[in-house]
Amino acid sequence: MTPTISVSNLSKHYKVPERDGGMKAAVISLFNRKYRTVKAVDDVSFNIEAGEVVGFLGPNGAGKTTTLKVLSGLLHPTSGMVNVLGYEPTKRSHDYLRQVALVMGNRNQLSWDLPAIDSFELQRAIYSIPLNEFKKTRDDFIDLLELKDLVNKPIRNLSLGERMKMEIVGALLHRPKVLFLDEPTIGLDVTMQRRIRTFIKEYNQRWGATVLLTSHYMADVEALCKRVIVIHHGHTLFDGELNQLVTQFSSFKTLGVTLPDPEIDLSQYGEVLTRDGARVTLRVPKAKTSQVTANLLSDLQVDDLTVEDTPIDDVIDSVFTSTKEAK
Amino acid sequence: MNPIKLALTYLRIGVLNEMQYRINFFIQLLQSFISVATGLIGLSLVFGQVETLAGWSRPELLAVMGVHLLMGGVIRSIIQPNMERLMDDVRNGTLDFALTKPADAQILVSVREFRFWQLVDVIVGIVVISIAFIQLNGTLGILQFFGFLSALIMGGIMLYSVWLMVTSISFWVIRVQEISNLFEGLYAAGRWPVGIYPSWLRTGLTFLVPVAFAVTIPAEALTNRLTGTSLLIALGMTLLFVVLSRGLWRLGLSNYSGASS
Repeated sequence: MTPTISVSNLSKHYKVPERDGGMKAAVISLFNRKYRTVKAVDDVSFNIEAGEVVGFLGPNGAGKTTTLKVLSGLLHPTSGMVNVLGYEPTKRSHDYLRQVALVMGNRNQLSWDLPAIDSFELQRAIYSIPLNEFKKTRDDFIDLLELKDLVNKPIRNLSLGERMKMEIVGALLHRPKVLFLDEPTIGLDVTMQRRIRTFIKEYNQRWGATVLLTSHYMADVEALCKRVIVIHHGHTLFDGELNQLVTQFSSFKTLGVTLPDPEIDLSQYGEVLTRDGARVTLRVPKAKTSQVTANLLSDLQVDDLTVEDTPIDDVIDSVFTSTKEAK
Repeated sequence: MNPIKLALTYLRIGVLNEMQYRINFFIQLLQSFISVATGLIGLSLVFGQVETLAGWSRPELLAVMGVHLLMGGVIRSIIQPNMERLMDDVRNGTLDFALTKPADAQILVSVREFRFWQLVDVIVGIVVISIAFIQLNGTLGILQFFGFLSALIMGGIMLYSVWLMVTSISFWVIRVQEISNLFEGLYAAGRWPVGIYPSWLRTGLTFLVPVAFAVTIPAEALTNRLTGTSLLIALGMTLLFVVLSRGLWRLGLSNYSGASS
């Protein structure tokens, strides 16, 4: 079976004008403009199968949004092949656009002054959705996201989270087969994030939709994505299962030790991360975990001891810092 | 997507939405009243001095004023709001949404906004034109009426095309808000037949900002001055403007990469 999304050797380079600060440089740049090539995406390849939910991770400026824009047909690749649902996105054929959706957490498409219910009507006209199907989808979504009392209010009167829920409903009314979600939960509180996550999961399961999601909230990724693609400086650093990322990039475990005597120095056992009264956390190489644990228990009187994997946030952070140092 | 159906849906929802703000109707009515009053004062000042202005009599100039009002209403209700939203979209990167829709992007960005109450100017314009017509003791033949109507429609299309071209410049320079003020200023010159202006300005008002085609020529049709030749020239100009604006729009789009997130 051919993959739903297939990207091979994708590169997107921008030519940006560059000048030093100050008046003189500004005047010079008017006549003799220097350009610098920015490789937003550089030789990235991946395939995504139908129904997969894939997390697309990377720090700001890593090339995530650029990739999503190429996939949704907004940008032409500098080189490389991109194919989604058998279409070349850059051609922006209407048949292709009818089957995909782009949601950007930091931008709104619904009209500020209109109640959401009217904007939904406009979406229906744009996508030529049959009336019955439209009503059913709309009402389902409104129920799922508990928006019944809000759809008649102008968007500007809604809270950030309510607005985002409306945005998602509006973007999915035509039941796209492929979703490109660019930080859909940005700036939202934990409850609202969770609600949106549940909805995306539900949509994915009910319609078998393929989802490519970027987020800076690891909770989103952990809840939704079995697989992640990590990119940094336009390069793919990792493509595989989320728990494999932890195994591959984190060679440490975190030990939490509670001692009756807070004065004892534990630095001989591992790197002390925090010390909060009697509670000490230690970073220990994974291979040594069982031995250090045994030593601790035999050498000292320990009230409580926990062994944890490094939190995913820290793993990601260490992935990015290590490649920065390697450069 | 059926473009006409799409435009009508936007129109319907725009109207429903604006109906809620009835106060805008009265404000608009007041504005129209003021512009008619100042226009009439201007006319009476001119005709206090002379009998005709560049060959146009008083009721004929009233007809020009009526067409100017009518066309101004069309600009402010449809063309200007859509183009201003387009500029905002380019600046904020929200044009991405319009471009990921299965619809012709040019049509989509041209029908999204509608200021219903601005149509008051269109009604007032029609009233002024009717009064002028009665004063002229004219009879409106079928041919003359269609000449007027087609001149009006072509003028509207030309104004839209010019707006679109100017707005497309925002793909390169991002900040073009002042341009709509400039445009309004130039359009104000159309209150008088372009024939009264010096030739350099007349050329500008004909070929750069086609006020001549949008206002003077329809008014000529009403006052029996229109020749088949100028109607043909108008048709040619309309086609030229449509093709040019479409080209510039496409060129701009290919240059657009969206405001970076």
